Amino acid sequence: MVFDKHFISEEDKAKGIFFEFAEVLKKAGVNLSIVEIMDMMHAIPLISIAEKEIFKQTLATTLVKDYTDIPIFNQCFEEFFQRKKGNESLLEVYASHTNTEDFIFSEEEKSLLESLIDDFLESHPQSFFKKSNEYLTKIFIDEIQSSEAGGAIGLSLFNRRSRFASGGADDSIQQELSPQVFEAIMGMLRRKMFERNMGSAIKQREDYLLNKYIYQLKPDEIKEMRELIKRFGQKMKNRISLRKKRVKRGTIDIKRTLRRNLQYGGVPFKIFHRDRKVDRPQLVVMCDISSSVNQYSRFMLLLTYTLQSLFAKVRSFAFISNLVEITDLFREMDPEVALNSIFNDTNFTYGWGSNYGNSFNQFIQNYSDALTSKTTVLILGDARNNNQDPGLDSFIKIKERSRNIYWLNPDRRHLWDWSDSIASVYIPHCTEMREVKNFLDLSHFIDTLFIQKK
Amino acid sequence: MFSSIEDTIQHLATQKYICSKEIATTVYLALKMQKPVLVEGPAGVGKTDLGKCIAQSLGYELIRLQCYEGLDEAKALYEWEYAKQLLYTQILKDKLSKILEDQATLKDAVNKLSTEEDVFFSEKFLVARPILKAITNQTPSVLLIDEIDKSDSEFEAFLLEVLSDFQVTIPEIGTITAINKPFVLLTSNNAREMSDALKRRCLHLYIDYPTKELEEQIVKLKVPECGNYLIKEIINTIHEIRKLPLKKDPSISETLDWAKALALLGCEVLNRDIAIDTLNFILKYEKDIELVKKNINTIIVH
Repeated sequence: MVFDKHFISEEDKAKGIFFEFAEVLKKAGVNLSIVEIMDMMHAIPLISIAEKEIFKQTLATTLVKDYTDIPIFNQCFEEFFQRKKGNESLLEVYASHTNTEDFIFSEEEKSLLESLIDDFLESHPQSFFKKSNEYLTKIFIDEIQSSEAGGAIGLSLFNRRSRFASGGADDSIQQELSPQVFEAIMGMLRRKMFERNMGSAIKQREDYLLNKYIYQLKPDEIKEMRELIKRFGQKMKNRISLRKKRVKRGTIDIKRTLRRNLQYGGVPFKIFHRDRKVDRPQLVVMCDISSSVNQYSRFMLLLTYTLQSLFAKVRSFAFISNLVEITDLFREMDPEVALNSIFNDTNFTYGWGSNYGNSFNQFIQNYSDALTSKTTVLILGDARNNNQDPGLDSFIKIKERSRNIYWLNPDRRHLWDWSDSIASVYIPHCTEMREVKNFLDLSHFIDTLFIQKK
Repeated sequence: MFSSIEDTIQHLATQKYICSKEIATTVYLALKMQKPVLVEGPAGVGKTDLGKCIAQSLGYELIRLQCYEGLDEAKALYEWEYAKQLLYTQILKDKLSKILEDQATLKDAVNKLSTEEDVFFSEKFLVARPILKAITNQTPSVLLIDEIDKSDSEFEAFLLEVLSDFQVTIPEIGTITAINKPFVLLTSNNAREMSDALKRRCLHLYIDYPTKELEEQIVKLKVPECGNYLIKEIINTIHEIRKLPLKKDPSISETLDWAKALALLGCEVLNRDIAIDTLNFILKYEKDIELVKKNINTIIVH
C-alpha cells in the first residue's frame, strides 16, 4: 500500500478532502460536531501529513471521542486514504477529476452543482445508481434543466460552449454541453456516489446485521455480530450508567452535616446529602438453548454478560429438558468459551425437546433463593413444550416471588400457539410476552428495563 | 514546550517514559493547540505516568487531582475558609463596632458594613484547591485530573469552564483567568461514559497495551539489570499470555515487576518452572494463574 501524499499536500484541495472525510465518518455513524472538525483543521497545519502514523493519529485524536468508534475510524481511514490494489481509492477518484473541475467551474458553480448532486442522489432509490456513469450523468443534467434551482446553472453550463469550442447547435443537451463539462460533472457525480457509499456502507452493514432475523444469520455474519454486540453493549452500558448517575442525590444527611459543622459552632454552613441508593435491577435469565432457539440464547447471554455491571446481580440459567445454572461459567471464563462449553456438554444437551414444565419445576425446587421482590425474570424461548406438562404452578410461583417476569419469544406473534407452542398458557401470568426477532429488539428491551417506572 | 513530535518522544524518554508516535502526536498537538487531553485505556498502561513525565520534562509544576465519588467543587475548585472568617469577625469585633458607631440607624449600619464586605470575601479567605491552583499558578503547570470517570457527572459540569476557557468564576469575587494556561490531562478507566460536552473540549487519546518492540524498550530502560535476552523472552511470554481470555491482563507495571523479580532471582533464561513460580507477579486472579499453567507449554518453549 502506498500512502498518497502528493495529492493532499496541495493545501486548498486538501481542506476539501478533510471535510469529505469527516462526512464519511458521520455517515458511518460517528458522532461529530463542528468543534471536532474545527479542531482537526487547526491541528493539520501543525503536523506533517506525509507521515502516515502521525497523520492518522491527528485525525483520530481530534475527531473520535468515543473509543468504541476507533475500529470504525480505522476502517474509514484505510478505505479513504490508502490505495488498494485493484480498487481505486477515493484519493485517486479525486486526483483524476478535481483538476478539471476547478478549471471549468467557479467556486459558486461548484458548490451549487454539489448540492444539486446531493439532492439528485437523495431523490432516487439505491438501485437506480447501478446504471452506468454516463447514463446517470445524462439523467442528472436533464433533471437540473427542468428544475428551478438548476435553471441558472444550466444556463451557465451551456454558455461554456464559447470557451470550449464545440459542434453545431443541436437540441439535445448532451451535445450542447461540451465534452469537458460533461466529463467534469460526471467526475463530481462519481466522487459523490463513492463517498456516500463508503460511510453509509459501514453503517448499513451494522443496521443490516442488527435488524436481521437472527435465525437467518450466516456463520460468518454471526462472527461479525459478536464484535458488534460487544461494541453495542458497551455503548448501551455507558449510556445507561450515565442516566443512572444523574439521580443519585438523596435527602439531607443530618448526622454528617452536624458533625462536619461543629467547627463552625454548629451553624450548618455545609449541607451533606445522603446518597440515594441506585436501584439496580436484579436479573434472572432463563434461556432455552434447544436447537430451535439456541442462536437467540447465545446473543441474549452475550448481551447480559456485557451488561452485567449494570445489574445488582445477574444469575443465568440454561435449560433444554433439565435446568442448570451457568452464572459461574460466565464468571470464570470468557463468554465465548463459556457458551461453547455449555453447548458441548453432552450430559446436558442429551435428549431432544425442551421441557419448560420440568425446567420451571426444577427452578422452584433448587434455585428459588434467586428470587426476591427486586428480581426481574427474563425467559427466552419459543414455548414449544413438546406436548408435556407446562408446569404452570411453578411458573406462577416464580411470578409471585419476583417483581416482574418477561418472556421474550423469538417466534412471530401469529405463530404463538401454533403446533406444540403453548405461549398462551403462559401469557396471562407474564408481565409481558414480547416478540424478539433480532438483536435490535433484544437491546431495546434491555433498555426499557431501566427506564420503566418502578 | 516541545518543538516537534520527535522532540516530544525524546524529551519524554529522558524521563524514562517511552511513548508511541500516537501518544506523542496527541501530546504535541494538545500543547500547541492549548487543548486538554482525555486519556482512556485499560489500567496500568501508564496514563497517570504520562502526566507526571510531561510535567517533569517540561519543568512544569504537577498539580494532581484524584477524583472519587462525591468529589465536589469545594474539594476541586476552591473553598471559602468559613472558620477563618468567623475567627476574624470575632477578633475584629471592637474595630467593627468602632466603624459602625456613628451610624444613626440600623439601615445605615448595614449599608456601611456592606461597603466593607469585600474584606471578608477576598482571596485572603479563599482556599485554592487543585484546579484554582493550576489557574493561578505563577509558573506554567500540568493539571492532572486522574480517574475522572470515578467522579459524579455533576462534577464534570464544573470542569467545563476550566477546560474551554481556562478560567474559574467565583460569584463573590468574579472571574479568575489563567495567568499561564495549564496543560490539562484527564484520565479515565472507562467506568462510565463522559458527557459529550466534556469530550468536545478535549482531544482524545486511547492508550492500549504497547507493541512488543515498545514494551521491550520500556523494560530495557527501567530494568536494565535484566539482560537483553531475558527481556525478550519476558516480553514474548507476556504477549502470549495477553492473548488468553483472562479476567485481568497483565499490565506494563506488572511486566516491570516481573522483570525486576526475575533479575533479583538471578535468572538468565525464562524456563517453565521459574515462570510458574512467579506467575503471581503478573496475574492477580487464581483462575488466571491456573489458565496460564494449563497452557504453559505453548507459551514458553524451554
